[in-house]
Amino acid sequence: MELLLSNLAHGFGVALTLNNVLFALLGALIGTAIGVLPGIGPVATISLLLPITFGQPATTAIIMLAGIYYGAQYGGSTTSILLNLPGEVSSVVTTLEGYKMARNGRAGAALTIAAVGSFIAGSFSTLLVAASGPALTQVALSFGPADYFSLMLLGLVISAVLAQGSVLKSIAMVVLGVTLGLVGTDVQTGQQRFTFGVPELSDGLGFVSIAMGIFGIGEIILNLERPEARSVLSGKVGSLMLTRAEAKRCVAPVIRGTLLGSVLGILPGGGASLAAFGSYMLESKVSSHRHEFGTGAIEGVAGPESANNAAAQTSFIPLLTLGIPANAVMALMVGALIIQGIQPGPRMVEAQPDLFWGLICSMWVGNLMLLVINLPLIGMWVKLLQVPYKYLYPAILVFCAIGVYSLNNSVFDVYQTLFFGILGYIFSKLKMEAAPLLIGFVLGPMMEEHLRRAMLLSRGDITVFVERPISATLLGIAFIALAAMLLPGLRSGKDKALAE
Amino acid sequence: MKVSQKDLWAGGLLMFLAFIGLWINGGMLGLGLEQHTLGSARRMGPGYMPMLVLWLQMALGAIIFVAALRNGPDDLESWKKLDFVTLAVGVAVALLIWRVMEATGYNTNYIQVGLACLVGLLLLAISPAWRPLGMVLGSFAIFGLLLEPAGLMISIVALCVISSVADREHTPLGVAGMSLFLCVLCWFVFIYELDIRVPVWPGSF
Repeated sequence: MELLLSNLAHGFGVALTLNNVLFALLGALIGTAIGVLPGIGPVATISLLLPITFGQPATTAIIMLAGIYYGAQYGGSTTSILLNLPGEVSSVVTTLEGYKMARNGRAGAALTIAAVGSFIAGSFSTLLVAASGPALTQVALSFGPADYFSLMLLGLVISAVLAQGSVLKSIAMVVLGVTLGLVGTDVQTGQQRFTFGVPELSDGLGFVSIAMGIFGIGEIILNLERPEARSVLSGKVGSLMLTRAEAKRCVAPVIRGTLLGSVLGILPGGGASLAAFGSYMLESKVSSHRHEFGTGAIEGVAGPESANNAAAQTSFIPLLTLGIPANAVMALMVGALIIQGIQPGPRMVEAQPDLFWGLICSMWVGNLMLLVINLPLIGMWVKLLQVPYKYLYPAILVFCAIGVYSLNNSVFDVYQTLFFGILGYIFSKLKMEAAPLLIGFVLGPMMEEHLRRAMLLSRGDITVFVERPISATLLGIAFIALAAMLLPGLRSGKDKALAE
Repeated sequence: MKVSQKDLWAGGLLMFLAFIGLWINGGMLGLGLEQHTLGSARRMGPGYMPMLVLWLQMALGAIIFVAALRNGPDDLESWKKLDFVTLAVGVAVALLIWRVMEATGYNTNYIQVGLACLVGLLLLAISPAWRPLGMVLGSFAIFGLLLEPAGLMISIVALCVISSVADREHTPLGVAGMSLFLCVLCWFVFIYELDIRVPVWPGSF
């Protein structure tokens, strides 16, 4: 406990330096903005801003990128409540009760509980990350190569199982991601693989190009293909204050949402949207006001909004302790760390205490800032929505193009992004989920390394993966998860939970 | 039979990519473009992991393909005749430009790739159904082509003009204003604040 406190004190020392506070604020503001705007999500934005962070120290860069991620969870709720337009997937459920509340004249109350619930959830899960991080790290340090391989396999399986749509296709996308990760120089022999003699490919396909092409540009094309009419805000926000009765009704949903979100956030492939859906389903079953669901029940805002923010924070746990990304945003964080020369993994807590504790504390600082800036600035965010998409998408394209070019000062990266834009377009037309691909791409090279090392140590004996207890357990869980999802009953339940 | 066209194509795409990969990797009949050493399970060579992963991908693609036969119906959007024609012409012309420029030596700085993409995508965009795809990606290609010879400002304007064709609501005045605004904004953010190394005006590289 004492150690935790002194670590947190150290973290706040880092997080509260002027530069880091400014970048946390900047990240939170950008995050809120993109959360408000439909059609551009945190994955695209973070990949867009990656090059900009290169000039900053690693800690500052990660603090800002993290701010974008949880800021987006906040921003997404605003438009869900006011306009019935979810800015992010994770805020889709908020439209169900939040917009109804707005039509009942309680928009202000819905916005307040969304912000307050998120803040409470964020504070709790920040503490959870701080407390569990070092402990998990200790466990992770006893892992051998075989255990690591199995752990990554488990991560990939779960991320595919929990992705939207067909499990089989998601697994195939993970494998395709691993395939794409093979391109480049083989680490152990130095041989060029799948590079076609192109020198730019010897470092592998560009991570930013893939993320930006598929999630940024592919998304723009799809948005332009089906233009949706955006309703202009009507009605007033109303009083931001909660009535005493409303506040009382929110206590239990916030607590339940926080706990559920914290757990679901840790799971690979889980993350914010799953947590929000889970919490909504939970509340609609256990709440004492469940008969009001569908007509603007405040529990249906308080629970999911707490859950998605809690999950956004705890999804940092596998990244910070094991070096394994739980979702596409965390995969980008791995990319950002590697570009900064830091190998994410269990040694990070000791080797980079500033980064580890600074990031954790900055999450709390960022959440506080969001609470303070968000409610007074609601009017400004709504104005932002009135910028027509026709002016927005060329701006996004310009930023993408400059960002990609400045990675290596190479036009090759621009064309590479273009290529993945085409691929992303094809994927979405064929209903192939792209998020598992990104996770596979990041984990693939690490898996290969651990596989080769494990096989070398075991002298080519493949049973090493089931003989080591840790590895065997992880593989067992992966197998059960896979088998369970192939059962029709569970699958339809998942589809219902994830249906937009 | 209720065929899911989407899954059918998805499975086919996965198998096709796996096939290409395996061919390059040299796992089949010893024929291969790059011929990676396979090694043994104990000492895996550079070709071992690709072989495992690509065969897995091939198998998954095959399962998706077969399952698609009774998974549907889930049809792709129907294509008009014009869509087929522009796609075929666009791809053919792009490949031609790429091969010819490669053969004649106009291939410094991937100009052949950029030009082939640009022309192919613009041809594709003749069909209204392909227009968002063609113009958005085409604007990206022209940005890549112009950036180093003509500088950032001209590239931004070109990108704005080309990409604005993708949305029919744009007016010439709106595009001009937007281009100007983005030029100023990008100059401030990327040149003044971040000082990235990129030519701003023609001839400054």
